[in-house]
Amino acid sequence: MGPDEFRGPMTQSPAVAVADQANTAIQVRDLHKRFGETEVLKGVSLTARDGDVISLIGSSGSGKSTLLRCINLLETPDEGQVWVNGELIRMGRDRRGHAVPADRKQVDRIRQRLGMVFQGFNLWTHMTVLENVIEAPVHVLGVPRGEAVDRAKALLDKVGLGQRQDYYPSQLSGGQQQRAAIARMLAMQPRVMLFDEPTSALDPELVGEVLRVIRQLADEGATMLIVTHEMAFARDVSSHVLFLHQGRVEEEGTPDEVFGNPRSERCRQFLARGA
Amino acid sequence: MIDLLGFGGRGWGLQLLQGMGMTLLVAVSAYLWGLLLGGAAAALKLSGHRGGRVAADVYTTIVRGVPSLLVIYLLFFGGNSAATWVVSLLGFNGPVELSALPVGILAVGTVSGAYSAEVLRGGALAVPHGQVEAAKALGMNRWLTFRRVMLPQVLRYALPGLGNVWQLTLKDTSLVSVVALVELMRVAYLAQGATRQPFLFFTTAGVLYLGMAGLSGRLFARAELWAGRGVRRAAR
Repeated sequence: MGPDEFRGPMTQSPAVAVADQANTAIQVRDLHKRFGETEVLKGVSLTARDGDVISLIGSSGSGKSTLLRCINLLETPDEGQVWVNGELIRMGRDRRGHAVPADRKQVDRIRQRLGMVFQGFNLWTHMTVLENVIEAPVHVLGVPRGEAVDRAKALLDKVGLGQRQDYYPSQLSGGQQQRAAIARMLAMQPRVMLFDEPTSALDPELVGEVLRVIRQLADEGATMLIVTHEMAFARDVSSHVLFLHQGRVEEEGTPDEVFGNPRSERCRQFLARGA
Repeated sequence: MIDLLGFGGRGWGLQLLQGMGMTLLVAVSAYLWGLLLGGAAAALKLSGHRGGRVAADVYTTIVRGVPSLLVIYLLFFGGNSAATWVVSLLGFNGPVELSALPVGILAVGTVSGAYSAEVLRGGALAVPHGQVEAAKALGMNRWLTFRRVMLPQVLRYALPGLGNVWQLTLKDTSLVSVVALVELMRVAYLAQGATRQPFLFFTTAGVLYLGMAGLSGRLFARAELWAGRGVRRAAR
């Protein structure tokens, strides 16, 4: 079920789209993205239902991070559609003909429902861990400060940083920073979580503590898209795996299908090389 | 001789203090005007808008490339003749003279802004782009991202440079004395002329300038410490 069954997405009313995608968290259809001459995404589609944990794997340059960043419009897709909880992100064209979001406010609103965790953590260095976590709830959602602080403390306990709330990011290890960044994302109570290589910048001995937190969230039923190079983790935690190659989905299926018995030669090669 | 600096009958103390007040008024006003102008120019330089970028480049290149004194002459005498011409169009005649204070502030601030623009632009470029992406990804709109994420960090990177611009601006105010604004430099000049004590009055003025610069330098140092929170601590 999805936009493929629509009688042309342009004529759909939003109400129909919502009804058709009742439990669809993310729907991506025929996404294209170019950087200059290079076409990074050449028509990618994916569907994530509520509770799905989808891992995106593939070698660097395959477009998996770009795909993730197109979903919350950190990159602007050149063609294709993205639905978030059944709401189509409306796109238009600027004067030079480049694709741009038609409604910036809609994008801001949709991003509030999409959490994102970055490879480089991206904590705000002029704020303490606690300030990082309460910033968006207080200033975007208008949550009263006291309430936001209470919730932030509970979240920091959850990721194992209860004792570190008044530290600045520069005083924390990479693993601690990434867990703080996860708490910051959780504070917005996102419907879908996007993880963009969350452990790739970490020292090997710090990877485990971050993966444990992500796994716990998955076990609690969170909907996730994870770009990762941690194959064992992807196999273990995912409900669904996509293998991207040169901007296309080369192979997809359950972890057992993709890792156990890959159909495409490229996927087989990638897995043999990687893990 | 020292009674020339006092507040008694022959003393120039009061005038010197008033001159210093005028110097500070011009310096602070010009600096703030420069920050506004410089902030706008920096934003234009960083924007995708081509015309805006070119305009800002022209502004900073020209103003930094010519002497401050020339800018003051241009705005004051140029402004006077422009005002005279406008008034003549309205049917009045006779030369018009603009008030030295606002023109002085405008001129010194315009110079100050050209330097502030470069400092602020550098500060903005020093903020890692990922910090802005994190804000966007949480649904923060442009204004919120600017106010809560960009601005505090731009200030952190720009404050040392902005302190420099402040010192330059403070000293540039002395140039406004050429259009007869009675600030510290002008008072010192008048006083030494009246008393034939150039060494005494210019030295006194120098000490007062140094005092203002030193005091404001300490203020900037404290501001830098505050703006650098979260970063300095780790470096310690």
